[in-house]
Amino acid sequence: MLMQINHIVPIEHIITLSCILFCIGVMGVLLRRNAIIILMCIELMLNAVNILFATFSAYNGNPDGQIFVFFIMVVAAAEVAVGLALLVLIYRNTRSVDVSLLDRLKW
Amino acid sequence: MQYIFYTLAFFAILCALFVVFEKNPVHSVLYLILTFFSIAGIYVLLNAQFLFIVQLIVYSGAIMVLFLFVLMLLNLNKDTEPQKSVIFKTAGAIAAGSFLLVLVAVLKDTQQSTELSAMTDIGLVKQLGKTLFTKFVVPFEVASILFLAAMVGSVLLGKKELY
Amino acid sequence: MNTPSSYLPIIIQLLVALGFVITTLVASHLIGPKRKGNKKDEAFECGIDGVGNARVPFSIKYFMTAILFVLFDVEVVFFYPYAVNFKEMGWHGFAAVSIFVGFFLIGFAYVYKRGALEWDK
Repeated sequence: MLMQINHIVPIEHIITLSCILFCIGVMGVLLRRNAIIILMCIELMLNAVNILFATFSAYNGNPDGQIFVFFIMVVAAAEVAVGLALLVLIYRNTRSVDVSLLDRLKW
Repeated sequence: MQYIFYTLAFFAILCALFVVFEKNPVHSVLYLILTFFSIAGIYVLLNAQFLFIVQLIVYSGAIMVLFLFVLMLLNLNKDTEPQKSVIFKTAGAIAAGSFLLVLVAVLKDTQQSTELSAMTDIGLVKQLGKTLFTKFVVPFEVASILFLAAMVGSVLLGKKELY
Repeated sequence: MNTPSSYLPIIIQLLVALGFVITTLVASHLIGPKRKGNKKDEAFECGIDGVGNARVPFSIKYFMTAILFVLFDVEVVFFYPYAVNFKEMGWHGFAAVSIFVGFFLIGFAYVYKRGALEWDK
């Protein structure tokens, strides 16, 4: 018979998993120049935080954390819609999605 | 059951690394979908059944399809991405690695409440719906305003005739 | 008791379905006859050599539809918790959902007026 996760897996391990995923997302943002990949890495970071929320919710028996995850997903959907529309617009003007071309706002 | 968790975790990390290091953007998107699937599996293990479904519907089903659409639309499936210099890449990797070290070190020292919850039905749609419509009604309405803004914004940016 | 182990049958079903597909695909690949050659492997284009990339960029209209699909998809996800609790919520929940849908309808009216969903124009 299988049991609940909080009897078996220590919470530290799930937190570590979330941290690793978050840092992979950070690394992607730092290493890549394709703006679409950067947006995807931001999604990955949001998901890492979602795991953390769901974990604390499950280990403390409080549903609020899961509602928060739900809202984060909602915000992510809206963010992706607008972000990708912006990217398409940038591509139309510069014929590229390279973020290093977009440094004209730098002083 | 812990083996299922560790397998899923390993798979998620592996696919996430592939997302970052894969040269072809289309492969990156596909690996990110796999990552989201394994994260959905972790939600099941955490008794968050509704989140599992929403993760599959919203992330794997809608958001990633949108990413694929944009890649196809801009025709970026070839490896045309200019690379950053080696110095910058090592600096980025070192920065992310030390960030991970700091995060893990900080979380090691925190006091976590380890009281085990016997409630296993908090992740069901019914329970979550009750919380959502009593405690979180205002954020729920604000979310709709956010969507209104997103809709207007994306249509405004996406329509060609305005420019 | 509702634990992750309740989902074991679903996992087994998934594994069986996936295993069947993979087994049949691999088996047909292994059993079937194979004749390889330079002429045989190239794409058949009526004698003309294949040129260019198979993936061509497509119209922005598909993209607009996809964006609006994502937004309305998330809207529908909000309806599941309401539908399950429909009876208990009463008029209070109905008012909340009505306001929510109202905002979406405003957005939909804007999208419609802008002509983002018009196909041939």
